[in-house]
Amino acid sequence: MFYARLIAIIALLALAGCKGITDDLMPSGEDKRPDVEAGSNGTQVGQLSPDFSVQDTLDNTRILSDELATSDGVVLYFNMWCPICDAHTSHMRSSIMPDFPQVRFFLVDYVSGSVAVSRAAQLSNGYASSLVLVDADQSLFNMYHASMGTTVVIDSTGIVRMNEDYKDGVKLKEILQSLP
Amino acid sequence: MLPTRLVVVAGVLCAFSPTAWAASCCGGGSAASLIMPKFAKAMMDVSIDWEHYDGFWDSDGKYHSDPPGSDLNQYRLNLAYGHRLASRWQASVILPYVWNSNQYAGLTSKTDGLGDTTLNLVYEPFDKIKCVWRVRNWEDLKPAVYYGVSLTVPTGISPYDDVTNSFDITGRGFYRLDGSVMLDKTIYPWNVSLLFSYGKYLERDVNREYGKYVEPYKKQLGDRKLGTASVGYTYFLESMDTLTFTLAYSLLQEDAGTINGHPDLTTEMEKKSVSATLAYASMDRNWIFKGTWGHAMPESGQGKNFPVTDVFTIRVSHVLR
Repeated sequence: MFYARLIAIIALLALAGCKGITDDLMPSGEDKRPDVEAGSNGTQVGQLSPDFSVQDTLDNTRILSDELATSDGVVLYFNMWCPICDAHTSHMRSSIMPDFPQVRFFLVDYVSGSVAVSRAAQLSNGYASSLVLVDADQSLFNMYHASMGTTVVIDSTGIVRMNEDYKDGVKLKEILQSLP
Repeated sequence: MLPTRLVVVAGVLCAFSPTAWAASCCGGGSAASLIMPKFAKAMMDVSIDWEHYDGFWDSDGKYHSDPPGSDLNQYRLNLAYGHRLASRWQASVILPYVWNSNQYAGLTSKTDGLGDTTLNLVYEPFDKIKCVWRVRNWEDLKPAVYYGVSLTVPTGISPYDDVTNSFDITGRGFYRLDGSVMLDKTIYPWNVSLLFSYGKYLERDVNREYGKYVEPYKKQLGDRKLGTASVGYTYFLESMDTLTFTLAYSLLQEDAGTINGHPDLTTEMEKKSVSATLAYASMDRNWIFKGTWGHAMPESGQGKNFPVTDVFTIRVSHVLR
């Protein structure tokens, strides 16, 4: 009976392995990022970002190329008004944004679905003074292959300089310091 | 919407909540007990959790409610098996399966998958049952003490697996080693227990986030501390079956983690919670049925950087003698 139970447990683990858990059981530090042609069109680091147009929570239309024309670069933070998002954005507000006044920081709300709901979430979470883009149809979310906490940096020439999780903000700061 | 990442975090916590354990050295179902009764050969345990989310605490401890219309839930089926290795040693394995069901603002998501597995080894430095009916001498006041070591194995689906978005996640992606000590004393009809555990996550390599390969880095979550105190009262039915009612208070904290050796303050968290458990045990204490309600206060100052949840658990344990 004991062995039957043991076999059942091992079988469950084996099945789980089939769903791709082995990446966590044996993590890899190998750099597997695909090679990209510098300056080609796309949203990976080194590529030229597609232009986009999206509403903000004050119902203004924001166009990437316009923002880049009047700043040193644009930062997009994909936000869903959650504890981790709040930890990231609070850190970004207090430790990074003050050092880069010429960079345009946007929170991208990809969950609220409308300007009104997004604005309400923005205010209730204490981000009244932040610039929030309303990604109502998740077009930006899909375009940048984003997830919660993804942070994208686009320099003034339109080149994507960063596209990954915010983590502790160290890499974001390094990237912003290296902007032309 | 949970940030499935958070659902997972909360779900993983349950592996160490008092209600994750099933019996006591005497049997019968104290809520804070950790293991199978003394002299039992083995124990099987099945539980179902329903965790309902109700806003979150930010990193300053301020409470925020979820947007109107949100309905965030996680369901877990936990299969556990404990086996006595020797008179003072026992081991167990807990295998959860997780279902996420979330409606948040404009998004709906339903996903499921295996959660992180927990392996436990417990040492009991005593040979006689410590539950007494009457205190006759100082020896009768000695509690049952349990020393435990647990290994959390990242069998769940984490942000670092080949997943497309955060809703696919059912685990944290890190190995964790916990040491714990529990003191449990029953002087019928009362029971008191204290549980302390300290966990250390192992550092790991990360080269992918949500299916997207990134510049490799090393990540480690912060040390984890859990303290739980509980008080229970047992009522004996005419059949000598028992009903035990237990109240517990828990404080859980995780320190800041590190990324490439640098502190990552965004991963610090804290959660205070209370729980109430009603346990029914058969006269021979071989069958135990439990219902537990775990509650976190949806108000500022009760936690940090963590979702506020209610957890409802139904549990059946069977002890093999």
